[in-house]
Amino acid sequence: MLKVKNFRKKYQQHEVLKGIDIEVDKGDVVALLGPSGSGKTTFLRGLAFLTPGDSGHIEFDDQKIDIQTATSEEIKQLRQKMGFVFQNFNLFANKTALENVEEGLVIGRHIPKAQAKQKAQEALKKVGLLDFQNQYPSQLSGGQAQRVGIARAAALNPEIILLDEPTSALDPELVADVLQVIKQLADEGKTMIVVTHEMAFARDVADKVIFMDKGLVVEQNKPIEFFDHPKSPRLKEFLSRISAATVAHNGFEYEKATIIGNKES
Amino acid sequence: MNISFLIHTFWLAIKAIPMTLLITGASVLIGLPLGFLLAWIKIKKIKILYPLTIIYTSLMRATPMVLLILLFYSTLPSLLNVILNRHLHLEIKIFDVNPAIYAIAVFALIAVANLSEVFRSAILTVDPGQQEAAVMVGLSPLQTYYRIIVPQALVSAIPNIGNLTLNILKGTSLAFMMTVQEVTAVAKTAAAYTYDYTEAYIDIFIVYFILGAILQLGFKFLERYLSRHKVRGTARQGA
Repeated sequence: MLKVKNFRKKYQQHEVLKGIDIEVDKGDVVALLGPSGSGKTTFLRGLAFLTPGDSGHIEFDDQKIDIQTATSEEIKQLRQKMGFVFQNFNLFANKTALENVEEGLVIGRHIPKAQAKQKAQEALKKVGLLDFQNQYPSQLSGGQAQRVGIARAAALNPEIILLDEPTSALDPELVADVLQVIKQLADEGKTMIVVTHEMAFARDVADKVIFMDKGLVVEQNKPIEFFDHPKSPRLKEFLSRISAATVAHNGFEYEKATIIGNKES
Repeated sequence: MNISFLIHTFWLAIKAIPMTLLITGASVLIGLPLGFLLAWIKIKKIKILYPLTIIYTSLMRATPMVLLILLFYSTLPSLLNVILNRHLHLEIKIFDVNPAIYAIAVFALIAVANLSEVFRSAILTVDPGQQEAAVMVGLSPLQTYYRIIVPQALVSAIPNIGNLTLNILKGTSLAFMMTVQEVTAVAKTAAAYTYDYTEAYIDIFIVYFILGAILQLGFKFLERYLSRHKVRGTARQGA
């Protein structure tokens, strides 16, 4: 469904991405791991042209884009197939949770107001926040805000959702709820690319794990193979540093979620 | 203390309030859109226009109001007369133009310069991440501006817009130098006949105090209304 070839990006002299090739099939959940500074976030933002890459090709279904010559029309068309979940939520501060979700439906997709409201409420219900629909972002906790962020992206029913470290800005006890919501999307068959540091989550939910380091894809594999039998020395080192023990003993963080499905506590 | 003069002049001053409000209101209303435009030029650093707006803003903000008024009223009419009538032969009666027009022009120029700075800083307080989020849900840059950024920027701009409006309101008292019949001019003229300056000044003080107080209250309410999304910590129950 999505193919990226030779994606490159430079900041002045510093080469951040040195030619990334990845492929994502429909329904896949791809976890993007790597030490900080490896270019994961830059790559994800580059896919959505938030910080455009310098060169390379993106193929999305039958749309083919040359990054160097991409027109704003092409970018717009590509973005329509994407949802983006930000590390810092980036909710519209002047709008309620419901309005945040509606905004894209009504203005971006031109869906009639009544129908958009219904869709938005459904999306909020899925993330367990229907009771909070009239709250402003300043009244929500980080975990709630991020779930609204996910609902906002998912409500547009994009073909792929890109999640940029969706839980790194959260207090530890709020992480589980957000991961639970993401897992739910995965179970529904949503295609996703998740940049994350949650190893247990990657292991359990992802269909494919990609390890990036210093601007290159070092290794990619199915999660079990990836974590239990890492091949490249760089990945072995990375995994030993974050300590496989934590993964094994802490269990899967999201199983501690306080929300289960649509139930609101 | 000449009480009857005090009361009589007070009513005269009250009747001159519309002129004071007209100059204040018109210059601020002209200043809002133009100030926003200049702020936008500054933020986007648009070629050629950017340095011009910078020069204009710093020049206007560095010049005393009195000087601008004197310059405008003594020089501009003659200058316009020379250009429009002697060279272009348009036969416009420059010297018959209502001095209030000049007053509005001066104060609008001051308002534009100050508001451009107010808006510039206000727009920069809105987290750029929201623009990215807006783009990703399909909003155009223009829609992002007026649906997301401007409503939030306005909230942080309101106190400063209030300050500026108050300053201009007080500044209009200088318009008496342009023979505009506003509050100060009317009271001073009345006092000139009887030499009851103290009473006249008391009247002026009361009128400006009332106007200023109402203005401040109005802006407080406006600020509270516009920042209703900023309520904090009232509803954090649940998950």
